[in-house]
Amino acid sequence: MRFLFARLLTVLAVLLALGAGQPGFAQVTTENAIKTALVAETRAPAPGDSFTIAIRMRPDQGWHGYWLNPGEAGLSDSFEWTLPEGVTIGELRYPVPERLVIGGIMNYVYEGEYALLADVTLAEDIAPGTAVPLRASGQWLACTDEICVPESGDLALDLRVGSGGAEASEQFDAWRASLPRPLGSEARFEVADGTLRIAIPFPAEAGIAAPYFFSATDRVLDYSAGQRVSRNGDTLIVEVAAAGDAATIGRIEGLLKIGDHDGLLLTAAPGDVPAAGTVIADAQRLDSPAMNAGIGTILLALGGAIVGGMLLNIMPCVFPILSLKALSLAKAGGSASGARQDALAYTAGVVLVCLGLGAALLTLRASGAAAGWAFQLQDPRMILFLLLLVTAVALNLAGLFELPSLVGGGRLAGRDGATGSFFTGALAAFIATPCTGPFMAAALGAALVVPPVVAMVIFGGLGLGLALPFLALAYVPALRDRLPKPGPWMERFRHLMAIPMFLTALALGWVLGRQTGVNGMTLGIAAALGIALALWWAGSRQVAGKRVWPPIVPAAMIAVAALFAVPGDMLSAPGNEVEAGVLDAEPFDEARLSELRAEGRPVFAYFTADWCITCKANEAGALARADVAEHFAAHDVAVLVGDWTTGDARIGRFLESHGRTGVPLYLYYAPGEEPEILPQILTPGRLTSLPS
Amino acid sequence: MAPAAAAVEVGQRMPDFRLTNSSGEIVQLSDFAGRTVVLEWNNPGCPFVQRHYGSGNMQALQREARADGVVWLTINSGAPGRQGFMRGPAANGFVSRENASPSHYLLDPRGVVGRAYGATATPEMFVIDGSRVLRYNGAIDDAPRARESETRSANSYVRAALADLDAGRAVRTRETRPYGCSVKYSDAS
Repeated sequence: MRFLFARLLTVLAVLLALGAGQPGFAQVTTENAIKTALVAETRAPAPGDSFTIAIRMRPDQGWHGYWLNPGEAGLSDSFEWTLPEGVTIGELRYPVPERLVIGGIMNYVYEGEYALLADVTLAEDIAPGTAVPLRASGQWLACTDEICVPESGDLALDLRVGSGGAEASEQFDAWRASLPRPLGSEARFEVADGTLRIAIPFPAEAGIAAPYFFSATDRVLDYSAGQRVSRNGDTLIVEVAAAGDAATIGRIEGLLKIGDHDGLLLTAAPGDVPAAGTVIADAQRLDSPAMNAGIGTILLALGGAIVGGMLLNIMPCVFPILSLKALSLAKAGGSASGARQDALAYTAGVVLVCLGLGAALLTLRASGAAAGWAFQLQDPRMILFLLLLVTAVALNLAGLFELPSLVGGGRLAGRDGATGSFFTGALAAFIATPCTGPFMAAALGAALVVPPVVAMVIFGGLGLGLALPFLALAYVPALRDRLPKPGPWMERFRHLMAIPMFLTALALGWVLGRQTGVNGMTLGIAAALGIALALWWAGSRQVAGKRVWPPIVPAAMIAVAALFAVPGDMLSAPGNEVEAGVLDAEPFDEARLSELRAEGRPVFAYFTADWCITCKANEAGALARADVAEHFAAHDVAVLVGDWTTGDARIGRFLESHGRTGVPLYLYYAPGEEPEILPQILTPGRLTSLPS
Repeated sequence: MAPAAAAVEVGQRMPDFRLTNSSGEIVQLSDFAGRTVVLEWNNPGCPFVQRHYGSGNMQALQREARADGVVWLTINSGAPGRQGFMRGPAANGFVSRENASPSHYLLDPRGVVGRAYGATATPEMFVIDGSRVLRYNGAIDDAPRARESETRSANSYVRAALADLDAGRAVRTRETRPYGCSVKYSDAS
């Protein structure tokens, strides 16, 4: 009874939706496991217009439909169109698919609602008011993990030629956002020893997560084989077991997935593929997801993390702390059990902080935030906190004030014995993170694409590596014996160690300036100065044998106040940042464009993306040139830049309206003239000769 | 941990195997040395398989082949609990109900043979010559989306391969993409 009621409600809802005249909704097929409907972005396209229609596919819970290449089994869709005269339709465009491994068989599927988009074009001479009946006869395969059903349905949608418009553009923008974007440059492939190797142009600085190559061309690679993805400069290299036709085929088409819903369409021609570079993904054969993390992989990752952690010890921000901690061992006169206790506590501190940071990172990732290693450094308040901490540590090293046990900065880290060692370790690991960025990015990037357990092993390994030299000193008496004898030189050494620490503070100040601008940076420096003065005062009272807390309290208050005063958000998100050195550009916006044109200013608009190598080459080779900047300045050319890195739908639509499906696109609007589309390969000469 | 699809290639000598048939007897591939063998991957619950049986297309192909002395082995690699899994009596029931005439209906519930041969779909067909060399692998015909009534008129790759072998010619279409349902292998193996 309840079921029947629910059914009735559904039918009612459908009827209501139809009656309410949702843009272009037509027939809904209900008996299939994948419900389909034909939707148009406008109900009244104008003559000569090109507009988008969608076949909306809505699988029932637990069911999936297939990508244009279904993978090892399954079947691709087929839609046959019946269109009236004067109406043409383009190829269907499929969204970025997902992988689904069932019983060891690779399927390329969609599990939630998805839409196949196509562009319909009306002839110029079609009369307004003419009915445009769109009909398609479709066949598709619907499967659960268990069963497959070949389904079919007839799709119909009736439009009428009118004045154009885009009533359903929000819905369509969401669908467009899940389409792959054309890469723009051609990839190359070769077959070597049964391995298909594909070189894909992809800028070294562009971000990528969990890369995977979906081949649209059948029989060129083993679908269920693991893919090894590495980066070698501006090239991404995919390596996977080859199949049947790979050695003889002249062209491979496919899709490189670079994020959850981001993909790049590409075509590869036979050619030379450079050697593999830094590995960013290396999946074992995908029998089931859990098997990705073979014990060998885990051990390898752990080994890499430990070595990486050891390297961190010589970073300028860590070395002073570690070396002084080590010397304190020598000072202690080599009591073996005390040294071991110290070392274990230090290790515990380091490893726990690394695991904590790792866990926080994974949690952020799981909740969908685009966090990377050292994610905490994206918050200017954290940078300022580190800046003040590092300044205090540096001043301590420089001898401005003393702590009960000389090891580093911070009250807790200064405590005697095991507790002090624990906090020294925690401090070292925490301060180490800003230094890890450039060195560990690739390895830690890999940590984010493996299962969480393995990722935590990597983070733990990193901490263990960081603590390893100290552990070695504690457990190998021979090493301890080789430490230099304590003496007055230690004091001088300590003062020297303040230099790298001050340099770290300088670097943090620079980061703060990048994030918050001159004001934020000045605030940070002022806070650091306040802390320094307070500590200086505290130090002089210390020498005189007086209490130290009177100056410390205001210093702490300065620090806290500064933390509140500094803006919590960065000036601009890194993705939207317009590169300095390139032209003085504003973010692209259609309203701004019309405004500038109304003012009669010439406008140069360009569209780029971080993953687009042609774009980057043009920016470096032509747009960043001084003569181009001078020419533009002399002629008062306004520059607008559209960043399509994340597939902004408004930019996507603008590109489409200029007949492009991807970037780069360079447009020049001379005052009062139609825009001129410039070639995809720009030269400084071409830009300086633009009319104005 | 076994790979889903071993890389088998047309022109390669295929591994021997031994399976239990629906009557409980052991059947070994090498028993048929010197004869052409057709392997048909089967899952009675798969709509694509049902289409070929429902139209009588599969049975007709089986009869033709066997009349020419070809050995026809229908293999079910469905795992217990998954769609199409059958024990001996149920498989015998399927054969008699469908009026099918394979030489044997073989049970591969652990998917060992299916995986070794790289079978991914039902129906997927293999044609093996007298020296156990793979001559054809792929779909049964060129009409994955055909309706039942059209199935008989489709271009049968298996029939063509058998004719080529019979005439001592090289098989013209050696490999195609199989279509249908995925083989319902066990997840753990």
